[in-house]
Amino acid sequence: MSAAEPTLSVTDLHKSYGALHVLKGVSLGVARGEVVTLIGASGSGKSTLLRCMNLLELPQAGALQVGRHRFAFGKGEAHPRDDELALLRRDVGMVFQHFNLFPHMTALQNVTEGPIQVRNMSKRESIELGRGLLAKVGLADKADTFPAKLSGGQKQRVAIARALAMKPDVMLFDEVTSALDPELVQEVLNVIRELAAEGMTMILVTHEMAFAADVSSRVGFMNDGILAELGSVEEVIRKPQNPRLIAFLNRFHRQPVGMRGSVDAGHSGAASD
Amino acid sequence: MYAWDFAALKPYWSLIWQGLGVTLFYTVTTVLAGLLIGLIVGILRTAGPRWASMPLRAYIETFRCTPLLVQLIWVYYALPVLIGVDMSAAMACFIALSLYAGAFYAEIFRGGIEAVDRGQWEAGRAIGMRRSKIFRRIVLPQAIQVMIPAFISQTILQLKNTSLVSVVAVGDLLYQGTVITAASYRPLEVYTTIAVVYFVVLFPLTLVADRLERRLGAHR
Ligand SMILES: Nc1ncnc2c1ncn2[C@@H]1O[C@H](COP(=O)(O)OP(=O)(O)OP(=O)(O)O)[C@@H](O)[C@H]1O
Ligand SMILES: [Mg+2]
Repeated sequence: MSAAEPTLSVTDLHKSYGALHVLKGVSLGVARGEVVTLIGASGSGKSTLLRCMNLLELPQAGALQVGRHRFAFGKGEAHPRDDELALLRRDVGMVFQHFNLFPHMTALQNVTEGPIQVRNMSKRESIELGRGLLAKVGLADKADTFPAKLSGGQKQRVAIARALAMKPDVMLFDEVTSALDPELVQEVLNVIRELAAEGMTMILVTHEMAFAADVSSRVGFMNDGILAELGSVEEVIRKPQNPRLIAFLNRFHRQPVGMRGSVDAGHSGAASD
Repeated sequence: MYAWDFAALKPYWSLIWQGLGVTLFYTVTTVLAGLLIGLIVGILRTAGPRWASMPLRAYIETFRCTPLLVQLIWVYYALPVLIGVDMSAAMACFIALSLYAGAFYAEIFRGGIEAVDRGQWEAGRAIGMRRSKIFRRIVLPQAIQVMIPAFISQTILQLKNTSLVSVVAVGDLLYQGTVITAASYRPLEVYTTIAVVYFVVLFPLTLVADRLERRLGAHR
């Protein structure tokens, strides 16, 4: 892979559920070490886009590339095989809103399941890896605890450790703090922040705007199945231009965002004439 | 007032043990065969090809919606004529009881598998596991926890249902009861004893089921 080639890229992705056209041609390239955050209204297609990136959902048209894994969809393209999908997913970590931990396994077993069963790592080596990762997310003492005995924040940190155990090239996070009590949100965000600082390539869907502004290399705004805006934190969150984006962001702030500066000037200019 | 005389049964106890042995034999073998049928049919109905769904459904409903006694007699008298082979009573009983149990177990398996959250499949796929491995390592262990109570009550029913084999003169516990009654003229003592033997075998099983259910529920 050349240095310039993105770690993950999607090209002109289309996804429909029956008659409902959810993704209407989305293209995005994510470079190694980048943190791209996706924001947007409910139903705009953020989760669908993320789930197309590890092919939990199969798009009807477009292309996906992650490292050496390449998939093309559309007329004349073969349906990806089960084993090709499994190989892709080894290299793409995903953390879910509702954790989806394996309830019949301890925290440590949750983390070692992938390395042992998928990467054929020895049990001893995987336990070492698993304990290391649990320590990294601050749960060294919970290795032998079952998920039912963990708090939401702890569950989500185990889920992050489980995904990291596969040594993925890129991590996908879909609203991973949305199901948590407010006081547990920060402990999970801190883990993600730490991963960002280590240079992990990540794509996150989140409604935590302050966090997004803090960790993102770039921010994308999904609107009605289209990546309507993609740019720096400055461009997308601090000084948005797109009226729909402004309307969306205003719901997260008491003080209206983007009502100063150019947008404000444009509006007042039009009104005063 | 009836004068009970259980001592009159003394010479026949060996027949009762023999009958219990046959009852347990049919229970164990047809539960195992039924589990195998049920597992395969249950999996095929949840994850198998679409064309398999209709015939499997027909099998399940046929055996669930007709009396076992009718199935047993049909397999013993009608099936041999249709397929042109002789069938021993023992074989007919084994086939009918296994297919009957299989139909019920299939529905229990299917229910258990479908009760496992979709997110579990997704979590398995997200770490690169193949379908068969997710099923074996993630879904089935959780499905079995859900299934245990239904599985045990169906197995208890199966043991009781084996008493129907006496109709085609297979020497189970109930059949031996009729034999002993004919010899001793003591039907009250005989059938009371038979009932107690069934109870003594089955009651501990229900206790085990309760404990198992509580233990398995601990991690949920
Ligand atoms: N499996 C599915 N079958 C049918 N429709 C679906 C399915 N998954 C998503 N959709 C629909 O696709 C649209 C986009 O859903 P998606 O989950 O991607 O939105 P989102 O941007 O993640 O929203 P939210 O912020 O609420 O999570 C919605 O209208 C949703 O109802
Ligand atoms: Mg979503």
